[in-house]
Amino acid sequence: MSSILLYNALIGGLVFGAIYALIGASLNVMMGVLRVVNFAHGEFVLIGSFLAYSVFSLTGLNPLAALPVVAIAMFFGGVAAYYLLIPRLRYSDDAETSSFLLMFGVSLMLVSSITWIYGADIRPVNFSFDPVNIALLTVEDAYGKGRDGKVLVPTARLVALVINLAIIAAMTWFIYRTLPGKALRGAIMNRDAIQVVGIDIDRLSANAFGLAAALAGVTGVILTLVIPSVDPNGGAPLTLFAFIVIVLGGLGHPIGALLAGMLFGMVEQFSNVLLPQSAAQMVGFVMLVAVVMFKPEGLFGRKVMR
Amino acid sequence: MNATVRRLDGPVPLELKDVYAAYHGDISVLNGLNIKVREGIVTGIIGPNGAGKSTALKTFYGFLKVSRGEVRHNGQRINGTKPSDMVGRGVSFVPQNRSLFNDLTVEDNLRLGCWGIRSDKARIQEALERSYEMFPILKDKRHDSAGSMSGGQQRFLELARALVIDPDIIMLDEPTAMLAPKVSRELYDFISGLPEKGVTVVLVDQNVRQCAAVSDYLYVLDLGANRAEGASADFGDDEGLKAMIQEWLDYQID
Repeated sequence: MSSILLYNALIGGLVFGAIYALIGASLNVMMGVLRVVNFAHGEFVLIGSFLAYSVFSLTGLNPLAALPVVAIAMFFGGVAAYYLLIPRLRYSDDAETSSFLLMFGVSLMLVSSITWIYGADIRPVNFSFDPVNIALLTVEDAYGKGRDGKVLVPTARLVALVINLAIIAAMTWFIYRTLPGKALRGAIMNRDAIQVVGIDIDRLSANAFGLAAALAGVTGVILTLVIPSVDPNGGAPLTLFAFIVIVLGGLGHPIGALLAGMLFGMVEQFSNVLLPQSAAQMVGFVMLVAVVMFKPEGLFGRKVMR
Repeated sequence: MNATVRRLDGPVPLELKDVYAAYHGDISVLNGLNIKVREGIVTGIIGPNGAGKSTALKTFYGFLKVSRGEVRHNGQRINGTKPSDMVGRGVSFVPQNRSLFNDLTVEDNLRLGCWGIRSDKARIQEALERSYEMFPILKDKRHDSAGSMSGGQQRFLELARALVIDPDIIMLDEPTAMLAPKVSRELYDFISGLPEKGVTVVLVDQNVRQCAAVSDYLYVLDLGANRAEGASADFGDDEGLKAMIQEWLDYQID
């Protein structure tokens, strides 16, 4: 096998891993702070993708131009959605199950709305960077016949990776170094105690919902660089990946989700290269089942007896 | 245990007035409860399991909705006030269950206690220094995670966090539960000295003898209502009450 394929798998793993990491981390913040099982998280990502598509198709600008607008709109949309939907769950005997059903309904509603606005077709985002590809390195005798080969990576993917890593770094700094970030982590650890120290749990939860929605939307924008098309039905697989990442990383563990996302991306991309297509699709899920069986608290989570 | 004589007829900054409250549905846990928290003393609340002691504190703090009656703070009706607003009113609470953020450092726990003054860095620093002066062990461990400390140290951290922004009133729910006797004694000594530092104390405790010893004024609850009240010093004279308390103690020992 050519080592170029392995290099490509490594870069693909980083690119997709960073996307999974961001989707998983944002869902983890929402689930950790609010105990809301957001089954519509993939659609939140999709909204970002479609807004990026709108910017591109209407103006011809780089879809990344949508980033600030999407971040701000999704944050405030998330805060509004929180106040509209989530406080009502308090009246339920089983708030977590109710939240799952509620957000499943929201997911269906969002898919219908997107289909209504954009139609059911998959839309291309044909924006290209100049140059289209960048040769990262040259591999000697790459094909075993004395010919050198170049590891070519689409510029769009590299840009996506850099922006994604920058957002992950900013999010990590916010959660681990600032007082509001520590309050979010505090709420994940002990939701009642956060009120005892004088923090309004409703306001904190609304901000957490807004932050998670904004991060999901931003991920959707970045995703249009990696997969240059938008599909109204593309949310469900993203939601699935987000939940896998949370299970792998540990619920309520933002850094765990980031690492698990990267791990899942790597495993997926290397499996694609090293295994037959049908087997490769299974590997990530086998890893999920193994973690549930042998380390149910997640690879980076802590055991909690209930 | 109280070296100084304290006024038992001082102003009433916090009060439950004929309060009814329930956790879920219509089954009331508090049934017309009246408690006056007087300034500058330790007010103890005792009673058997299920008497409504912890519920009374949660109701004071806004964790429970009052279905009838009034919660009053400095004469103002505050029914429906959010728990998070109580800190701003100068009332702190250390609940029975551990309320620390275990994965955060000791200092981060204290900093979160300063949430109300988060934009004033100088004041936060001052508050932290005061806490470290009061509890030197916390200064030594300020970079350790809260969850790595012993049970007693965690309790002192909770107390430090509740006191960090100088409350007027602190409410303590079973502060010595699960602690070693030596640590409990240290904690009771600290609590009994709080009024001299300008902090009014409301203490709920299963340990009747210790609670009576630390408190200046006692409320005895049963089934969510007042059973008796009075200066702690006078409680030894009430034979009926002594018999009832002995009955609880026997029950606890059994």
